[in-house]
Formats: sequence, C-alpha cells, structure tokens
Amino acid sequence: MIYLDNAATTLQKPAAVGNAVRRAIYGLASPGRGGHSFAKKGAETAFKTREAIGELFNVKEPDNIVFCMNATHALNIAIKALVKAGDRVVISGYEHNSVYRPLVAMGAEIAVAASPLFRPYQCIEAFNDAMTWDTSLVVVNQISNVFGYILPVDEIAELCKARGIPFIVDASQSAGHIDIDMVRLGAAFVAMSGHKGLYGPQGTGILIAGELDHLSIKTLMEGGSGSNSRGKTMPDFLPDRLEAGTHNMPGIAGLLEGVRFIKEKGQRKIFEHETRLVTYAGRLLAEIPGVSVYISDRPGCQSGVLSFLIDDMLCEVAAEELSKRGIAVRAGLHCAPLAHETAGTIETGTIRASFSAFNTRDEVRAFAAAVRDIIEKKKGRKEYQNKYNSINNAH
Amino acid sequence: MQRGDNQVIQYLIICRSLTYAQRTAKVLERAGISAYVMRPPMEISGEGCMYCVKVSEKRLSDALIALNNANMGHGKIYMLDSDGKSSEVRL
Repeated sequence: MIYLDNAATTLQKPAAVGNAVRRAIYGLASPGRGGHSFAKKGAETAFKTREAIGELFNVKEPDNIVFCMNATHALNIAIKALVKAGDRVVISGYEHNSVYRPLVAMGAEIAVAASPLFRPYQCIEAFNDAMTWDTSLVVVNQISNVFGYILPVDEIAELCKARGIPFIVDASQSAGHIDIDMVRLGAAFVAMSGHKGLYGPQGTGILIAGELDHLSIKTLMEGGSGSNSRGKTMPDFLPDRLEAGTHNMPGIAGLLEGVRFIKEKGQRKIFEHETRLVTYAGRLLAEIPGVSVYISDRPGCQSGVLSFLIDDMLCEVAAEELSKRGIAVRAGLHCAPLAHETAGTIETGTIRASFSAFNTRDEVRAFAAAVRDIIEKKKGRKEYQNKYNSINNAH
Repeated sequence: MQRGDNQVIQYLIICRSLTYAQRTAKVLERAGISAYVMRPPMEISGEGCMYCVKVSEKRLSDALIALNNANMGHGKIYMLDSDGKSSEVRL
C-alpha cells in the first residue's frame, strides 16, 4: 500500500517510535504517582519529551507544555479558556471543526475572515478588516488540512499584537513541518497533534501555553494530578492544572522519538522533501485530462498536502478506486466544511493526498498512474456503454 | 555531611510540581551539584503530593546561587536529618 493520508495520521513511523512504545508499556509507570524506579523512569521520559518539544518550538518553560489526547483536546482547552458566550472571535476561512465546533458550543459570535485559496496578502487584509475593536480572540489555522495552504500566521500575529488581541494557533498540520517559535509568535496558545508531523503515536497531542495567567485557564477535566492532593481544586500551575489523570506514557515515549527523528532529519529538509513531492504530484495530475488540482502558483504557500477532483466522479468513489489500486488517500470534507465553503468545494468535497518524510517520487508516479488508470477505465466503460446503447437503439 | 553526633544533613528544596522539580534538578546538575528529585515527607507537604529536590548540606548555597543565576524561583527549604526529622530553614 502507498500511504498518502499523512495529514490524518503519519502511519509510517520511525522504527524508534514503535520500539519506545513497546518498551514504555512494560517499563514506564505514571510520572509523579510513585517513588519507585518505574515511576521515576516515566517522569524522566515525560520531562525529556517536554524538553525536546520545548527546543523544537522555542518554549522557555517546559511547564507550559501540556500533554493532551490530540489537537482537538488541546484546542478545546485553549478556546474554552479564552472564550465566553457572546464574544466576537475572528477565525480564518480554513478552520477545522476542532476550532469551529467548540466556538459554537461556547456561544461565540464567529466572524470568518474569508479569503481565496493560496492568496496570503488577501488573507492578511481579511483579518485586518475583520478584527474590529470588540474582537476578543483570533484563532488561525497555520496550514489547511484540506489544501495544504500555508496561512500568513506571522503577519496575523503581528496584527493581533498591535491591537492587544490574544490569539490561538492551530498547528495540527504545521508542527514538525514549518518553524514555530513560541517566543517570537507570542500566541496565547499553540495546539497541535502528536501523531501527524511529529510522528508520535495516535492519542498524543500538545498544548503550548504562552504568557498568560494560568489560573485563568478553565479545566476541561479534574482529577488526580500527583500534586497538591489535599486541595479540592486543580493546582494553579502548569502542566498539572491541565493534566488530570494518568498520562499516556507509551504515547509520550513514542512522541519523544518522533520529535528526535525530526531534529535528526531536519525539519526544513523534511518539509522541502514533502513540498517537492506535492509539486511533482500536482504536475503529473494536472497533465491528466479530467483532473482538477488545487495547487499553489506561488512558492511557499503550500505544504505537503494537495486536494484534487476527477470530473464526473464522486470523490469517495475515486478514493475507493485508488484504495483498490493500493493507494491510501482521504476523500470528503476532511472535517473542515468551512475550508470547502471558502474554496468552493463544499458540494463535492475533495480527494486529498498528503505526503510525509517516508514517501518517494516513485510512489507519486504510481499514484498519478493509478488516477490515470481510473479515468481511462471509466472512459472505456462510458464508450462501451455508448456503443451498446447505439446498437440497442438501432434495433 | 556530618554534624554533631554523626547526623547526616540533607536539604530539601520544595518545588510546586514534578516538572518544576525536574527543571530545578537539571539546573543544579548542570552546575555540578548532585540533585535528587523526590517526594518530601508528609509533614512537609502540607497540601499533599509535593516534590522536592534533595541536595547535600555542603552544596546548598551553591545550589541557591545556581538557581538564582538561572532565574529559577524555589519554595521553602527544609533540613532533613538522617532520622527523617525535618525543620524549615530560614534564609
């Protein structure tokens, strides 16, 4: 199988990730839940992971790195910490439901700063216009999970800082791909998955808190934290305040190896590899009659994710046909209907191919050949049908 | 370290969380000071489940200087003798 669904989960992991998970299951107990050697080993691994993440994202204090279940969990904490019912919240036109739905649940007044695909200057303009005096918060997706569009987050951050508006960055698709510097960015929160570009196991996510009053962060869950146990409320410091219950130590141990892999391989190199594959795939697909590809005509605007459509074929059917040919892609709305509304694909959805450090040019060629084969078979069936119909009509 | 009737004295630097204790220990280790993360005795951890970093009597002042240089604050400091008796140290 050629796996091209890395925007959902990177399934091909460095071998060290799997080994670490296996070792953790039998060797790492809960950090802070005992003084024995297994708990201490767990605590050491959790700390090393926080440090490794801190180095990758330039986080001053590892305490501000909170282990979560996934990016949705992290985004829920971040959004619910900062939003009250009726608050005006400006978001991009490319947000995932993990941003949109919590905002709806909180009763926020959502203002969408919509702008066309792969047009960063228009995106900045849209945010500039949408950020009125009564805006309480900005939430922005750094890379669209549907189109791989890299939004101008640094510029949007500057707009927010100039107006004193806190902002949250959804880095689910950008973590491990492009540079994120917490100090420079100045975000209230950055939320990300551990199981995509960071190559950790599923069930891992990260919330990085910026410089804000940690006591003001509402807790989504309450329970054991291994600290201040006689207190009736969650501790007023991070990460304990937001890490109720037993840690996912196999996940965290695997995530540490994933982050180490990125550092060893080089984030920039991985990103360049993926974008080269996207460019190549876009070119090959664009040569096939009947295929529409969403590819950026500007350098630096697209990550290793691309969407496409096949004329007169439902995207789910196309994905099924690709699966039969040994190619794993995703089809549909990708849990981001807003992105499709913005890009004009809400009625059709898209077929999405997303690349990782483990994909090759040969795989891209095989993928494009499979798309061509699907279209030619479909064309052949149509010609046969037409011929059959004309013979029948003649009789 | 020995004191009086062969009592071994250790100092416990109280930290608000396990992560903070780990950070504290790392700063001290980098400064060449042996530091050990542990849970303090119940009589010290009033709120329960606290963490501390244990350093030897001889290195306490070096430890405090190292933490100060790293802009790392710390909680109370307790003296612990080999019988497990503790008392707060007023700096």
